[in-house]
Amino acid sequence: MKLKFLSLVFLLLSVLTVVAEPTVGEIAYAQGDYAGAVEHWQEQGHRDGLTAPLLSALGNAEWKLGRKGRAVICWERALLLDPRDTVAIAGLRHAQTAGGIERPVPSWSENYSAFLRADTWLILAGVSFWGMILCVALPKFRPQNRSAWYQRGLVSFATLLALSLPGLWGSHTYAQRAVVRRAEVALRLTPTAQGEPVSGIGEGDVVRTERGFNGHTRVQTAEGKTGWVRAGEVEAIWGGGLPANLDQKAAP
Amino acid sequence: MRNAGFILLAWLALLTVRAADSVSWEITPAVAGPGQPFRLQVRIESDVVLGPADRVGREIKPPRGMALRFSGQIFRAGTTEATLNFSGVAPEAEGAHVIPSFNIRFPAKMIQVPIITLNVSNATGFRKDGQARAELELPDRTFYVGERIPGAIRLRGSEQEFVSGSFGLECEAEGFSFQLLGDRAQPLDNDQGLLTAFELTPIRTGSSELSLNGIMLIQVGVTSAFSSPSRDRPFTFRRRINVEHVPEAGRPANWNGAIGKFLTDTIQLSNLSPEVGEPLRLRAILAGEGNLERIIPPEIMGGENWDIIPTTERRRRAEDQRIFSYTLIPRLPGKLLTPEIRLASFDPETRSFSQVVFAPQEVTVTGTAPAKVDLIKVDPRAGANGATTKPLAGLATPQPNLRSVLSPPVASIQPLAASKSFWATNGILFTLLTLSLGVVLTLSYLSAHPEILAHYHARRSCRRASRQARQAARAQDSAAFARAIVAGLRIGSGALLQAKDQALTHRDILRVLPDAPLALLEMLFQVAEGDKFAPRPLDTLLTEPVRALDLLAQLEAKL
Repeated sequence: MKLKFLSLVFLLLSVLTVVAEPTVGEIAYAQGDYAGAVEHWQEQGHRDGLTAPLLSALGNAEWKLGRKGRAVICWERALLLDPRDTVAIAGLRHAQTAGGIERPVPSWSENYSAFLRADTWLILAGVSFWGMILCVALPKFRPQNRSAWYQRGLVSFATLLALSLPGLWGSHTYAQRAVVRRAEVALRLTPTAQGEPVSGIGEGDVVRTERGFNGHTRVQTAEGKTGWVRAGEVEAIWGGGLPANLDQKAAP
Repeated sequence: MRNAGFILLAWLALLTVRAADSVSWEITPAVAGPGQPFRLQVRIESDVVLGPADRVGREIKPPRGMALRFSGQIFRAGTTEATLNFSGVAPEAEGAHVIPSFNIRFPAKMIQVPIITLNVSNATGFRKDGQARAELELPDRTFYVGERIPGAIRLRGSEQEFVSGSFGLECEAEGFSFQLLGDRAQPLDNDQGLLTAFELTPIRTGSSELSLNGIMLIQVGVTSAFSSPSRDRPFTFRRRINVEHVPEAGRPANWNGAIGKFLTDTIQLSNLSPEVGEPLRLRAILAGEGNLERIIPPEIMGGENWDIIPTTERRRRAEDQRIFSYTLIPRLPGKLLTPEIRLASFDPETRSFSQVVFAPQEVTVTGTAPAKVDLIKVDPRAGANGATTKPLAGLATPQPNLRSVLSPPVASIQPLAASKSFWATNGILFTLLTLSLGVVLTLSYLSAHPEILAHYHARRSCRRASRQARQAARAQDSAAFARAIVAGLRIGSGALLQAKDQALTHRDILRVLPDAPLALLEMLFQVAEGDKFAPRPLDTLLTEPVRALDLLAQLEAKL
């Protein structure tokens, strides 16, 4: 009975959403003033925090302004907060089909991890791990009160942990992605300024990042080509809020 | 006095009167036959030194059909006279032809030449046979904007007058672009004349007058010591031309501005057996007469089999050919046909449109098909101009204020896995749990095996008894020595036998240490506990204490 009640509460919380009245940013977006919408939503993000719908809306407005790199990173970060954000998914699909954006094909583990947020996978794995530990340890502490519930709990938590491990791996590989922020970036053979360009990638393209060296980052493009780009030419999708303003110099 | 005043005024009036410029002209012959060359000489007398005339003939507007050109001037330095010569050709029509008044500019002043009249009459008996003449070759029809109109001026000579050259060809026309073809005139077939080809292109509609002027150089066959063997003769043509747009009625959708008569020459492929994804170049060569250079290259659709990229042809252009180049990239393997190239053209003579078609060519594509072929989807609801009414993909309507309880706003998108406190807490908890679990397991094991602790305590008691026995031996206290040894033996043997140590006798010790000397054990027990029952016997324990201590050592080794 208690379990059913908790499940019902969880479902209610998951579907319970709050839609507020249209803001200035939404009105500006609807009227075609995309620069005004971006300005308002950025201010809202600084003030109230970032959510997946806000980031995906920002991505739409940035795309309308022709800033592919900023738009794609907004959508990718919205998907980190909510892997099922429909606006961000539609935006990325539009960018790939109509905008010519290249995006790596997700692996099976990344597709699997898209079912939940990366943090949720980690929490799930942590809970199942500790639950499994407790199911093993508690009978040791209380040997006189051993019951079948410990065995059932152990199997359940172990199954949950096994199910969460691919999600953790997919989230880990997904977190290695970055978005090209500069137009016409050369993919160089060596991590030097005079490295021979082997290919080119455009603004907004999503790449998988590997290691860094000499101010460069080794990346793999959606076509499978690997090379080095300057670290400032790509922006990781994890570890930030709003897209970085590349026109401003970094603080010393 | 009054007469004197009149005389003075008359003198002043005479002083203010300037001498008038005198301009006279003479045409030779005075009456010209139709098409007969003539010479016009204009003589000027002025009151100032004239000097050479400048830009003579710029303002002369000869009547229709008459050619008139300035051919030279005679002047002497420091004189007030000048003579200007013009050469011309009389019009074909009889009558009086008036050359309007025009100005001649000298360094000192500008002098106006009055109206000059040329009388043309058939009665002169002039015959054009044997005289060099110019003929204009230009189609007599309605022209169309953007059309390439080939034209030519044929300078026909004769045995008496041989045309040796031409120069100064000018075209005065509004709404046309004029271009000479070739650097110089080409000789005619009979070597008695020259042909100057040109090209006209109308650039706007309407009716306008085309005027072509030039001069031909003539070599006269009969020469004498008093006549020049060569002379120049002007020619002029005026033609009214009507220009229209290519009719919209019946104009095909794929008409790209082609006007003329065209035909397909050849179609070339750089590779007849490419691999999938290997580019090959397709050249379609169009030949014919018309505005080849003005045709916009036709677009061709690749469909599912080809990717098509229009390219520019780097080959040198031919005059009567136009090459359309495309780069084709096969998408699928197999025997494929190149796309058909279709071009609509307008024939200005028949005023009809026709289609020029380059037939598809068969190409054998090798290789394997890619795993995924991105086909270009064509929306059937799209308009004829290719504009799609519905995009293939679009942006969804954003809802930035949507809030979910499960995903609260964050200041920065940092993964939980990057949180140090998360991993530190988990690590500490895991360590504590492991330690406590170890303790519990150890205690549980010890509680399940009590002999481990009993043996441990027995070993410690044996060591303690051994130390006490050594101290007693050093103090020469045999009773204390024996009590310590016996206590140690009892505790150790009790742990091994799982019996109460106080109840053990020297016989019980023998069960644990069967090799122990019985006499020594009896002496130890008697000395240790004999005073409870009788006076202590004399002992020799302290003479060899090592033997007793060895018993303790053997027992400790068994524990």
